[in-house]
Amino acid sequence: MKFVFEFLLIMAVLVALPAADFAFAAGDEPGEYLDRRVVIWNLFYKMMTVAFIVGSVVSGTIIWQVWRFRESHPKAKPTSYEGTDW
Amino acid sequence: MSGHSNWPEWIYVAVVIALMAWVGAEAWETERLIEHVPEDAKIIIVTGQQWFWTFEHEDGTKEIGELHVEVGKAYKFEVISKDVNHSFNIHDYVVLMDAIPGRVNTVWFAPDKVGEHDIQCREYCGLIHYNMRGTLYVTEPSS
Repeated sequence: MKFVFEFLLIMAVLVALPAADFAFAAGDEPGEYLDRRVVIWNLFYKMMTVAFIVGSVVSGTIIWQVWRFRESHPKAKPTSYEGTDW
Repeated sequence: MSGHSNWPEWIYVAVVIALMAWVGAEAWETERLIEHVPEDAKIIIVTGQQWFWTFEHEDGTKEIGELHVEVGKAYKFEVISKDVNHSFNIHDYVVLMDAIPGRVNTVWFAPDKVGEHDIQCREYCGLIHYNMRGTLYVTEPSS
């Protein structure tokens, strides 16, 4: 049930965003054309921002995990399946 | 597993789903916007062939290797090819569309400044692909 609710919520966002933007869509009046360059490069910069942030968070998490859970870390603890003789 | 909380995983999953939804919605919206051709756009038939571009205006006039358009007007390119795959590109206006034999691909633009811009082929199409170029002349409106 929870999954269905979340799925519907995501779909609602997917539909609502373009619908909201529709109100700001470029008109067909002569001289009021959409500037394709702005729209396309804007998308590019947004996607690059997302890509670099996600990239740094993911790689930062991996680096931290490798550093924190190394055997030689002062707070390292053996897991049960590794035995107790540390 | 006792004493183990997995809420960070669920937050991670939610963030990933939210990001993907947002990225998808943005890309979808951009595509919808730029694929919307203005109704008063003038049609120019762009023909790619080894190794030059031909442009045919609505009134039947043809140009080879150069294209004259007027500032402030919208143009819809119908891009075709007579031989192999080409790609019609006006870099300065972010116009890029493949020219494929047997297909009519469309792309539009509306120049907003007087000037000269490069037209080039962006799909390797043979020996002289590198020189399959043209010039776009954006001029003041005649009327």
